[in-house]
Formats: sequence, C-alpha cells, structure tokens
Amino acid sequence: MRKLINYLLAAAALGSMSVVILILGGLIIVIAQKGLPAISWSFLSSGMKQAGASGGIIWHLVGTLLLITTAWLITSPLSLSLALLQQVWLDKKGRWSQALRLFFYTCNGVPSIVFGLFGFMIFVQYFNWGKSWLVGGIVLAMSMLPTVTLAIMERMEAIPAKYLEASAALGLSKTQVVWSVILPQSLTGLATGSLLALARAAGETAPIMFTATIFAGATFPDGIRENPVLTLPYHIFILAQDSFDPAMGPQLWGSALVLIALVATLSLLALPLRLIMHEESHD
Amino acid sequence: MTRFFSWLFSLLALAAFFALLLLFVWQSLPVLRAEGGSYVTENRWFFRQHQFGAAAMIYGSVVVSIIALMIAVPLGLGAAIGTAEYLPARLRWVAKAFMELLAGIPSVVYGLLGILLLRNWVYDGFVAFEPLSGDTLLTAGLLLSIMVLPTIVTLGDDALRAVSAKQRHAARGLGLTHAETILFITLPQAGKGLWAAILLGFGRAMGETIAVFLVVGRQDNQLPENLFSLSMLLEAGQTLTSKLGGAETNIAYGDPLHWAAITGLALLLLLITGLVTWLGSVFRRRSQDA
Amino acid sequence: MTMSRISLFLLAMGAGSTLWAGTLKINGSTTVNLPAAEAAEVLRKERGMDIHIDTQGGSSGGISMLGDGLVQLGMASKPVSDKDREKFPNCRFKEIAVGEDAVALIVSADVWEGGVKAITREQAADIYEGRIKNWSELGGPDRRIAFFNKEPGRGTWEVFAHWVYGDSKKAPQVNFPEVGGNEEARSKVGGTRGALSQLSSSWVDNELIYALGIMTKAGEVIEPVTSNIATRKYPLSRPLFLLSNGEPTGDAKIFVEFMLSAEGQKLVEKHGYLKLADLKQ
Repeated sequence: MRKLINYLLAAAALGSMSVVILILGGLIIVIAQKGLPAISWSFLSSGMKQAGASGGIIWHLVGTLLLITTAWLITSPLSLSLALLQQVWLDKKGRWSQALRLFFYTCNGVPSIVFGLFGFMIFVQYFNWGKSWLVGGIVLAMSMLPTVTLAIMERMEAIPAKYLEASAALGLSKTQVVWSVILPQSLTGLATGSLLALARAAGETAPIMFTATIFAGATFPDGIRENPVLTLPYHIFILAQDSFDPAMGPQLWGSALVLIALVATLSLLALPLRLIMHEESHD
Repeated sequence: MTRFFSWLFSLLALAAFFALLLLFVWQSLPVLRAEGGSYVTENRWFFRQHQFGAAAMIYGSVVVSIIALMIAVPLGLGAAIGTAEYLPARLRWVAKAFMELLAGIPSVVYGLLGILLLRNWVYDGFVAFEPLSGDTLLTAGLLLSIMVLPTIVTLGDDALRAVSAKQRHAARGLGLTHAETILFITLPQAGKGLWAAILLGFGRAMGETIAVFLVVGRQDNQLPENLFSLSMLLEAGQTLTSKLGGAETNIAYGDPLHWAAITGLALLLLLITGLVTWLGSVFRRRSQDA
Repeated sequence: MTMSRISLFLLAMGAGSTLWAGTLKINGSTTVNLPAAEAAEVLRKERGMDIHIDTQGGSSGGISMLGDGLVQLGMASKPVSDKDREKFPNCRFKEIAVGEDAVALIVSADVWEGGVKAITREQAADIYEGRIKNWSELGGPDRRIAFFNKEPGRGTWEVFAHWVYGDSKKAPQVNFPEVGGNEEARSKVGGTRGALSQLSSSWVDNELIYALGIMTKAGEVIEPVTSNIATRKYPLSRPLFLLSNGEPTGDAKIFVEFMLSAEGQKLVEKHGYLKLADLKQ
C-alpha cells in the first residue's frame, strides 16, 4: 500500500510536470510553425506596407528596442540607488529597510496597465506631450523598477560577509566599500534583473497603447513631443483585432515569432549570469 | 556624494510610485462622491447615463482568476513536486529555466492563441451547454491558467526546496517512503511558501489585461443572482482589466465623471492586486526565513 | 511651483521639437483607415512625406483628437455631431467626403441558410432591446440570437443607432458582448452560430458571413449593393470623411487632395467602398 502511494505520487508529479512542459512547449511549436514561413531577411529589414498586409517589421523592432533601452537607462540608476539605500545607508535589518523591500515586492504585482494610465494622465495629457517614445520608456521603467531593484537587493544580500568585514578591518568608509566591493559584486544582479525585466517589458502592450505607440507611419523619432513609435506587441494586438485576415496570417505570426525570439534572447542571456551568481553564493 | 545621489534617486523613484497612488485616488473622487459605496456593489454600468456600478467587473476579475487557479494550482503544484523532489539538480535547473522562458511569453501572443485556438475549443467543446460564442469567462480563465502556471511552478518549487534537507533525511531515516515524506513532512512545512505561490498567482491573474481582453467577450453587467452559480461561466463577461484596456478608456477622457469611473476601476485593481501581492510576499518572506 | 517650472521647461523643449517635426498626424475610423493608410504609404514613397496614422478610438477618437489638436486630420465614418462641436469650441470641424460606405447587418452562414435574409427596423430594435431572442421569431432556425454589439464610439455603431432610433443618443444602453474593429466583428460572426452584428458592407464575403437586406414596411427588400448604396436607397449608408480644423493646409491639404484625386479614389474603391463619382445625388 505504502509502495503504491509512493509510485502514484511520483507518477502524478512527473505527470503534471510533463503536462506543463507539453502545454507550454506546444505553444512555442504552434507559433514557430505558423510564424516561420513569414520570416525572411526582407521581413526583418523593411517597413510595413498595406496597413500590415505585407512588407516588414523593421520599424516595429526599432521602436520596441528604443522603448526598452530607454526604460533600462532610467531604471538602472534608480534601482541601484534603492538597493544601496536598503543595504548600506539604512540599517539592513531595520524596519525601514524591510518595509522598503516589502514595498517593492508588492509593487511587482501592480498590473502594467495602471502604469500606462498613469503615464497617460501625467505626460500625454497634463504635460501635453501627446504620444511619445519617452513616455513609453518612463512607463516601462516604472513597471521594471521593482523587479530590477529586488534582484540587485538580493544580490547585495548575498555578498559574503567576509568581504565586508575585511573592508571594515581595512578602515574603508562606507562610500569606498560601495564603490570597491558592493557595486562590482552587484553587477550580476543588475544584469540578471534587468534582462528578465526587459524581457517582460518588451512584450508589454497595455502600458504603451495609450502612451507611446501607433499603428502606422512612425519611423525613428525626432524629438520628444508627439513622437510615437511602432512596436511589435501593439502591431500584433491591432492585427489580431482590426485587420487580421486569414491572408495576413503569416505576417501576424511572423511578428509574434520575432517578439518571442527577442524575449527569449533576453531571458536566455540572463541564464549564465544566474548560474554564476548561484555558484558564487554557495562559497 | 554617493550617499546623496542614492538618497536623491531613491526618493525620486519612491515619489513616483506614491504619486501614482495619489493621482488615482484624486482622479477617482468624482465617481466615489457620485456613487458612494454602490460603485462597487451595484451591477449597472451605463456610461452614457452616467451610471457606474462595477460589481460585475469585480466579479468577472475574481471568477476568471479563480478558474485559472483551480487549474494551475493542482497542475503547477504537481509539477513543482516533480521538479523539487524527483528531478536531479541539473535537470531541475533546465526545467526552471524553461519555465521562466515561458513566463516571458508576451500576453498578446497568449491572446492570439486564445482567439485562434482556445475560443473554438471552448465553443465546440461545450456545445451541449449552448454557449453564445467562444468568448466567455471560462475561456479567459482557461487562458489565464496557462499564463499563471510558470509562476505557480517556480514559486512552488522554491517553497518545497526551502524545507530543510535535515527534515527530509530524518523522515527517511525513520522509514517513511519518499511519497510519505513529501506528503506528511515537506508539504505541510512548505505551507507558507505554497500559499505565497497561490496568492501571487492570483495577483498575476487579476492583473492580466490583453489576453483577457481578447477572449472574455466584453459584455457588461453580467453578474449572476447567485454568486456561486456556474451559469455565468459560459457567458461573455467583463473584468476590471478588460474594461480598462477597451474603447471606453479612449473616449472617457473629456468627461470628468466618466474618466473618474475609469480611474476608479484602476484604483480598485491597484488595491486588490496590491493587497494580494503584499500578503503573498509576506508569506514568502516568512517561508524563506524559517 | 516646481511642477510648473518643470512643465514649462518640458513644454519649451517639446514645442521646440515640434517646430522641426513636419509630421502629418491622422487618427480615427478603422473603416476610413484602410484606404487612408495606403494613401499615406504612396505619399511617403513618392513625395517623402512623414505621415502618422492610428486608429485609436475609431471615429470618435478621430473627432476628439482633432478637437484636442493632437492630429491635423481625423478620419470618421460618421458626421460630426452638434455635441462634438460644442465639446470642442476651438475647432472648426470641416467634413471632407472621400467616399461612401454602407453598414450591413451581418449574420453567420447558418442563419442565412436557415432562411433569414432580411430584417425590418422594428425587428432590429426588438433584438437590440432584448425583446426578440431567438432566430425562430424571424423565420429562421431555432437558435439564440448571438448579437455582438459594436463598441461605443465606432462610426459603424452610430450609423446603426441612427437608423434604428433616429438619433444615436436615443439608443438605450444595452448589454451585449462587444466587438471592436471590423475584423474582429467579421471573425466573431463568422465563427459563431446564430450570430448577428453591425459591419461595413465591404467586408461581407458571402461565405461565412452574409448581409441582411432591409425590409421596408411595404415589404420591399433593399440589399446593400452598390446600386442601392449609391442612390442612398439603402438606409444604412454613411459618408467616409476626412476631418480638418478649418481648411486643410500644408501636408494635410496635399493628403486630402490626393484622396480626392483619381488615384486616391481608386484606393477607396479597392477596399470595397463607393468612390465619390459613384454617388448619384
């Protein structure tokens, strides 16, 4: 009897795992199947034609990359500062420190559309910028901030105490410790957190649809105000609703495949870094 | 200098987040004044007549998320037991990496698959119940369950691994089988972490916009008499997020009351997901500290 | 204090950058978008113009963005109402017709083949208000009517409401599942049994979706075909407009003139709409 339960549980567990992998793997296969026919050099390098029915997605790629780059440039200094605050300038074990951390865990759960509406009210309307790539960058930065901040915080937490003790023994000031020990050691945390957050941000549609992207016509922005961009996720969203024609199928799936490839690349880049961190923290 | 800039940037970032909360509260005041409590309890959303009762959307969001959890939790936990207890370390890393890759699939792609595949499966599969179309609360829930799976598996795995090896070895030493160890020692000990996984999965499901928007049907004021009845599941519905992502948000801006009603929905969403995520994070912390 | 200084600075930066940007911005109806987007492509290629086109909010979005000064041209498949003019007093809305389109009441194949090929205005109102719920009451199969209502703000919906109630404002607020753009309507109706929705007649494929004729009180059935639309005999026709604030100037003028030219009109026709020349006043 006990043996039976043993086998059953093992079967159930491994069964569930297989089901999960099959479902999720199946998704990738479906998308790849439908999207691969559309991928060609011209698809990736030329602009959209006929309202999406033909042509390529170069400007959509450019737009998406511009948005996530801007978001990263905004988030990085802010996240580093917040992590430093929590780990160094405030008492690490203190109430404020813990509260800060919990605050960011909570913020991580805020749906991205809320950030989009915030950006819409403040920048698009109140500051009268209209739709702009910069607003998109700001909004995505806000949605990324918690993830990146937490990743850096956790990395800093994992810095072996012996380094900090040695620095203290050598008489280094806090600032010196930050620059010579903590920051260099945290870079992997910044990198990993950033890559994962960027992967998520690249695929976001809701926050950018009111703030930064349009369906057709934009190329590379030449200013801040009234300078939206084309983006991959919004393109897919509109094609799926407004102009999706069975004949346009390959265009749609090709865009989806490219987007997934972008997201996957960013995530995969994070992997070796995480392996390094994992091994380092088990010194 | 470093200290100064750390504080400066940090306060800037924090100010932005608080400004967000304050802005939504401030912008929603008109509708809260006009409707009072009935904003969340009444089931009538007629924007032309300036009637704003969001009960059906709250119901929609919650129902869709619960359906998602009912599928994702057993399946995800089972898979988590698989990765945490039965896989060798290397394979476990591979499985985790794979799971995270899949967590990154953009919601618009899930929405696409929902429109093109899931919608028809539900429509044809439940034909005996005569659904009006394939876009229903159930369809949205099913789609969400797949989207939430990676979260449940990863967090569940973390929770199970956090149970110390000593306990496991002690159990085995006492003669318990692997299964008994898992069922009677590991799982109970991992309780908090598992709750965290469920709560955080719930929060994720509640906040999902695009995928739900595409397959939920977007029909307002769909609230059953009996909250626990299953009849509404095969009907089209509306969630907080599907309303926010839709046409009304575009046309509401010029009308203060209408716009307040929209930001009010966002505020509700913020509060609910904030609460659920906060609780989940607290549990997660506690389970890791143990 | 700091807020206004910051916003002033940003406005200055923004204003400066717009002086350099010679972009023509257009927004509005997904119906008008089809020929307009192609026209924009032609102009981009042949005359190097910089044109942004979007379809946020459909016809209403086009009107409100023009009213807010966010775009130079709006696209609408419905006329600008008095309420719109009141809402944006600083905007002198000018409607420039570039074509004509008809809104059809489309049904899925099983309804058409089940015998329902025409509908009266009263029946439409009854369905819209929930008094008729089954196709059998219209002589069709015994099946629930799956009515997908067009989103508020869409020109297509306004034309429908105007026809049934005389004024879109008089339409009662109802609860039906919503569809957004034209393609979403087509794919949902095509894929659902017993379905009914409002859609531009140029999208009908007569395979998965069919257009109902309108039955008058006298029993005559008017189908949404070119001849009936051109003479305005079919009651649900609507003009396709480019909207401008006063007379269009600069790039907006070039765009409008192109749409009205033979080449532009050919694009209108290509997407199934009627060009201006087809209309018999």
